[in-house]
Amino acid sequence: MNQQPFQGRLEKVDTCCWRIPKSYKQGMLVDGIIFANESLLQKAKQDLALEQVANVACLPGIIGASLAMPDIHWGYGFCIGGVCATDPQEGGVISPGGVGYDINCGVRLVRTDLTSEDVKPRLKVLVDELFKRIPSGVGQSGKFHFQAKEMNRLLGEGPSFLLERGLATLGDIEHTEANGYLNGADPSQVSSVAQKRGMDQCGTLGSGNHFLEVQVVDQIFDSHAAKVMGLFENQICIMIHSGSRGLGYQVCEDSLVNLRKAPEKYKIELPDKQLACAPAESSEGLSYLAAMQSAAHFAWCNRQLLMHQTREAFASVFAQTWQELRMNLVYDVCHNIAKFEEHQVAGKMKKLWVHRKGATRAFPPGHKDIPNSYHSIGQPVIIPGDMGRASWVLVGQEGSMQRSFGTTCHGAGRLLSRTAAAALAKGRRIDQELASLGIIARAASLKGLAEEHSDAYKNVDEVVAVVEEAGLSKRVARMKPIGVIKG
Amino acid sequence: MFEFFEHTADLGFRIQSPSKEQLFEEAAQALFAAICSNPELILPSVQLTLTLHESSTELLLRDWLALLLTTFESDKIIFSSFIVTFDGDQLNAIVMGEPFQPKKHGRNHEVKAITYHQLVYQENESGFLAEIIVDI
Repeated sequence: MNQQPFQGRLEKVDTCCWRIPKSYKQGMLVDGIIFANESLLQKAKQDLALEQVANVACLPGIIGASLAMPDIHWGYGFCIGGVCATDPQEGGVISPGGVGYDINCGVRLVRTDLTSEDVKPRLKVLVDELFKRIPSGVGQSGKFHFQAKEMNRLLGEGPSFLLERGLATLGDIEHTEANGYLNGADPSQVSSVAQKRGMDQCGTLGSGNHFLEVQVVDQIFDSHAAKVMGLFENQICIMIHSGSRGLGYQVCEDSLVNLRKAPEKYKIELPDKQLACAPAESSEGLSYLAAMQSAAHFAWCNRQLLMHQTREAFASVFAQTWQELRMNLVYDVCHNIAKFEEHQVAGKMKKLWVHRKGATRAFPPGHKDIPNSYHSIGQPVIIPGDMGRASWVLVGQEGSMQRSFGTTCHGAGRLLSRTAAAALAKGRRIDQELASLGIIARAASLKGLAEEHSDAYKNVDEVVAVVEEAGLSKRVARMKPIGVIKG
Repeated sequence: MFEFFEHTADLGFRIQSPSKEQLFEEAAQALFAAICSNPELILPSVQLTLTLHESSTELLLRDWLALLLTTFESDKIIFSSFIVTFDGDQLNAIVMGEPFQPKKHGRNHEVKAITYHQLVYQENESGFLAEIIVDI
């Protein structure tokens, strides 16, 4: 298998931005732009990630550039950390590979009024309670079951559907990206196989890099923004990372089969089959968009139900209601999605399909699509790091609108393959190493834990420093994990 | 014979087999070895018959694994035994396994999908070679 380090020309735009000129490869319609410092760029050059940036630059109707964030690494089709905006008026395509199998994989952050001193004496009990209540790991069903009619509403309405069942509040909906609702969703476009695959998985964590963490706010970098979000030093927060589970994976699978003949039909030449696409306004494109947006609703409901079970666990351990503990949702972001957004292109406002695969929306202060409560500070951006070091809260900045279609990074980015990470952890008990750092970890699979240890990831502090320097987003708070639940 | 190979975020398997039928059977074994940690404990107590049609053998191999994955996730049956035959472009398979029991079979990776990325299927001097990357 071809996995040669990238040998192409890279032009330095500034200290945190690099260009792959469109002359690099036949078929590139725009340049590739990578936000990275020297050290992160060297890491990105070691596998096929930069080649994938160049491949995405070949997609019809791409606008501006094929972009990559500093947490870039090799994916399938698109790189992880990839951003691609296409203009449907210019024959722009929609590509399921630009969203990924885990449609609307994302992260949410829940605040509490608890401090580290309140929680540490009961941390083991709390983590055990969370592990008992939060279904995780391969093949694990959840406690929430939806009949066909209910599933239809869930897929069509998103987490608002959960309001009437007392599983969500208006505050939760307001603090979910896009209010948890995409108006192109059409559950009839979600196959019965996809619905069956996800039927008992809403409210389950999954496996791989998905997690639930109890975190302590370690340092505040922007006290005003932190105060607006209800964050303070030494505070306990909970971060939840999961997506659309089997339902979303199957929606992507079904769409890629449906798109198999589209490149020939629409005369699109693709450098990688995984970039299968169709014009956004074609029947194949519209069918995918309707199913993808329904799967995005499922993902938001999944994270909402995971948060609900988390609130129940805290209430049980601390003998207070979640409302008394003020366990409010700070914000929920998607990092695998395509959204139809308005952006300025050559001085004109245009509506574009912005694919974000391992990248997060980061709208600046005053943007119409962020909640009123955050208008003055910009959209909160939740950045998970790794389970041994740190995670971050950022806010979107104006530079994101100018440079990256309102986008920033999504995490630390993997550095080692899972095989290499597991080999490095051979003979070690990662849960015991974490315990020595004061972090209690519970996992459905110890092997899974070994593949996810800190050495497998880049340093998230370095990644967020780059997006801040590039003007895409700004640091607000850093959190350190003290409790980890993994699949 | 199969082996896993490295991919930064995901997982690949490489299968080398003397016949096309055996390649498809061993690819299925690789898939379930990725999903559970004790595939040798899976008993053949449930039997299903599966058929698929696709003119490209490369895509047929991917579709075969995708169908097994979907069946595992939807019906919660984990498989260990596969008999594959071909009739032109059609694959006919008898697959055997049992209901998934995490404690018995062990949890390994949650395989989300069988990707098309760098999919390889070719004949070589030893028979047939395939490389498949799965999303985990």
